[in-house]
Amino acid sequence: MNLLIQGLMNILDLQVILVLLIGIISGIAIGSLPGLTATMGVALVLPITFGMNPITGILLLIGVYFGSVYGGSLTAILINTPGTPASAATAMDGYEMSKKGLAHKALTISTLSSTIGGILSVIVLILVAPQLANFALKFSAPESFALAVFGISIISSIAGKSMTKGLMAGVLGLLVATIGIDPMGGFPRFTFGSINLASGVNLIPVMIGLFAASEAFKSMEDIFAKQNLAIKVEKVRLKWSEFKTLIVTIIRSAGIGTFIGMIPGAGGDITSFIAYNEAKRFSKNKEEFGKGAMKGVAAPEAANNSVTGGAMIPLLTLGIPGDAVTAVLLGALMVQGLQPGPLLFTNNGPIVYTLFIGMLLANLFILIIGLLGIKYFIKILSVPKAILSPLILVLCVVGSYALNNNYFDVMVMFLAGVIGYFMVKLEFPVSPVILGLILGPIMESNFRRSLLMSQGNLAVFYTRPITLVLLIFALVTLLGPIISKLIKISKGKEIINENN
Amino acid sequence: MKKFKGKIVFLLIIILTMFLVAGCNSEKDSSGDTSNYPNQSIKIIVPSSAGGGTDSTTRSLAAQAEKKLGQSIGILNKPGASGSVGMTEGANAKPDGYTLTMVFVELTMYKHLGLSPLTPDEFKPVAMINFDPAALTVRSDAPYNTLEEFIDYAREHPGEISVGNAGTGSIWHIAAVNLAQSANIKLNHVPYDGAAPAVTALVGGHIDAVTVSPAEVKAQLDAGNLKTLAVMAEQRSALIPEVPTFKESGIKAESIGTWRGIVVPKATPDKKVAILEEAFLAAAKEKEFQDFMKNNGLGIQLKNSQEFKKFITKNEEFFGEMIAELGLGQ
Repeated sequence: MNLLIQGLMNILDLQVILVLLIGIISGIAIGSLPGLTATMGVALVLPITFGMNPITGILLLIGVYFGSVYGGSLTAILINTPGTPASAATAMDGYEMSKKGLAHKALTISTLSSTIGGILSVIVLILVAPQLANFALKFSAPESFALAVFGISIISSIAGKSMTKGLMAGVLGLLVATIGIDPMGGFPRFTFGSINLASGVNLIPVMIGLFAASEAFKSMEDIFAKQNLAIKVEKVRLKWSEFKTLIVTIIRSAGIGTFIGMIPGAGGDITSFIAYNEAKRFSKNKEEFGKGAMKGVAAPEAANNSVTGGAMIPLLTLGIPGDAVTAVLLGALMVQGLQPGPLLFTNNGPIVYTLFIGMLLANLFILIIGLLGIKYFIKILSVPKAILSPLILVLCVVGSYALNNNYFDVMVMFLAGVIGYFMVKLEFPVSPVILGLILGPIMESNFRRSLLMSQGNLAVFYTRPITLVLLIFALVTLLGPIISKLIKISKGKEIINENN
Repeated sequence: MKKFKGKIVFLLIIILTMFLVAGCNSEKDSSGDTSNYPNQSIKIIVPSSAGGGTDSTTRSLAAQAEKKLGQSIGILNKPGASGSVGMTEGANAKPDGYTLTMVFVELTMYKHLGLSPLTPDEFKPVAMINFDPAALTVRSDAPYNTLEEFIDYAREHPGEISVGNAGTGSIWHIAAVNLAQSANIKLNHVPYDGAAPAVTALVGGHIDAVTVSPAEVKAQLDAGNLKTLAVMAEQRSALIPEVPTFKESGIKAESIGTWRGIVVPKATPDKKVAILEEAFLAAAKEKEFQDFMKNNGLGIQLKNSQEFKKFITKNEEFFGEMIAELGLGQ
C-alpha cells in the first residue's frame, strides 16, 4: 500500500502527466488509422523514450499502447473500418448502431466499456499478478491449440443469417492462412515462387480490404443512386438504466480479456470475438446481435482493452512478452536498465507501482478524452459519402502500404476489397474470414507442435484438463445453435402431434 | 491588367522553383563523384519490424553514425519472409551509397533453404556490428549441470530431450542440430515462432532446453528459473562470463550465432564504402551505442569490410552443408 501511495506521488508531476496525455492522444490517432497498429505505434515512439527517465518513457509508451487499442474501435463504429484487428468484432454491432443513427450511444458505450475493462485488468494486475502468471505458464501447445479451436467455433455465433455462409467464409479464411512458408516444416505452400507470399498473406491488409474498402465500394453505388447520402445522427444518448444492463457483460468480458491477454502467444486479437460470443450466449435477445445490440459493442470493447492489463502480467512478473506490443515494451524496459521478471518488484518496487498508478490514470484519461471527444468524432458522419468514400479508400491504401512499406500489401487490400464487396452483396459475413485468418496459423502450428512434443501421441488433447475443457467449450459453441434448433423442431412436432 | 500581372509573377515563381528543384537534383545525381559524399540524407533498410532487436540496434547505431557522416539517416522497416523481402530491395537499390541495408545471418541461408534466390554476393559488406552466440540453456531444476552431463543424459534417453528453437531453418535450429551432430546425440527439435515463445515454453516446463542467445534468456537466468550450460563460440559471452564455451566443456563444435552488419549494393564505388566503413565502425565505438547494447545484453563484435566479407563467405559455406544434411529447402 505504501508503495502505491509513493507511486501516486511520483505520478503527480506535470511533466509525467503531460507526457502520458500526449501518448494517449497520439495513441488514439494511431489506433484509429487502419494499418497503423498498436505495435507499430509503440515501436515508432520507442526511440524517443531512450532519452527520458524510466517513468516518463515507459508511461509514454503505455499511453500510446492503451490509446491505440481504444482508438481502433472509433473508426470501427463510425465507418466500419476497424483500426486494429482487436476491434474487428466491434464493427459488427457498432457500425449497425451507427447506421441506425445511434453513433453517439455506441461511442459512449465503447468509451465506458473500454475504460472499465482497462481499469479492472490493471486492478487484477496489481493484486494477483504473480499467482496468475504461474497459471499462464501452464499453457503449452495443446492448450493454445484448444483455445484456437474454441475461437474458430465462434463462427457459429457471428455467422449471421446463414450458418452455411458463415462456415464457408471461415473456411476461406483458414485456406488463405495456409499460404506461405509452412510454420513447422519450412516448406513453401501456394507461394508460386513469390517472395511476397513467402511469409503468408498479411492479416491487416485483408482486414482493411474486407471491411473498409468493400464498404467504400458499396457506398459509391449509393452516391450514384443518389440516396442515403449521409448517415443521420440522432441525438440519442446512453441512459443510466441502459448502462446498468451492460455492467454484467462488461465485467465478464473484462475477465475474459484479462485472462486471454496474459496467456503468452494466444493472440489478444481473438479475445473480443470470444467476449462477443459469451455476451450472446448469456443474452436473452440473441437475435439482436449483429443488428446493433448494445451488448455487442460493450463486450468486445471491454475485452480488447482489458487485454492490456492482462498482457502486462507475464511481462512484468516473468519477463515474458505475450505478444508483439509487450515484446517492444520489454525492449523499452531493458533500455531503461529495468529487467522485467520476478526481481523487478524487489529491485524496482517504486517504479513498478508508479507504472501501475500510471496505467490506471491512462484509462481515466481515455474516459475523459473519449467522452469529451465523441461530439467531434461523430462529425465524420456528416461528411457526404461522395467525399468520405474516396477519403476512406486513400486511407486504405496508405494504411496497407505503411504496414510493411510494401506495395504488394496494397494489392492484397484491393483484392480483399473486391472479394469483400461481393461477399456483402451476396450476404456472406466477413468477420469469419478474419477469424480464420487469425486462428489458422495458431491452430496449425500448435497442433503440430503438440504432436512433436508428445512424439505423435494424440492423448495430449484429452488428458490435459485445460485442453479438454476448452475443446468441450468449442464443441458446445459450435453445436449449440444446431441442437437448440433440433429441440425446437421436435417440440414443434410434439405440438403438432398433440393438436392432431 | 493587374490580374494578368499577378498571373505572370505566379508563373515566374513556379518556373524559378522548378529550376531550383532541378538544380538540387543535378547536384545530387553526381554519383560518380565522391569528393563531397555524403551530401544528402542516407536511408538504411531494416528487413524486420519496427521495435525488434535489429530495428532498435540500427536506430541506435544510426544516431551515432549521423554525427560521423554529417547527414541525417532515415530508417525504413521492410519486414517479410525472414527478412528476404527487405534485403532483396536493398540489393536492388541504386548503388550510389545512399541506400544501406542492415543484414543478419539469415542472408547466408536463404538460397540454401530455397526461400529466396538472394545471396550475399549481391552486396558489398561495409561493417559487421554485432554477434551473439548460441547457448545451451536448460531449466534450473534439470538433472544435469554441465554440458557433459547433458550429453550423457541424452545418450541414455535418445530423442527424449525436446529442444525448442526459433523456427525450422532458423539459426537457433541449426545450432541445436550442430550440437546433436557434434556430440553424436539424438534430440527432439521443436520449432516455435521466434526465440521468446521457446524460452517461455522452457520456463513453463513444456520443453527441456533451448539453443538461443544469452540475451534472450538473461532475465530468466537472473530470476533463477533457467541455467546456461555452455556457449557455442570461440570466446565466452561477456553477458554470462561464468559459463564455459563448448570447447572448454570438451565438445568440438563450430561456433554458431546470429550477427548483424551494414551492407550496400555490390556496384557501390569502393571509395564510398570506405567512407561508410570508417563512419559506422567509429559510431559503434561511441559510448551511447555501447551502453545501449550492454543494456539489451547484445554483444558488440566489429569487423571491417574485408573481415566481414570473409566471415560471410565462411558462414554461407557452413550453413549450405548443414541445411543440405538436414534435408531442408528442396
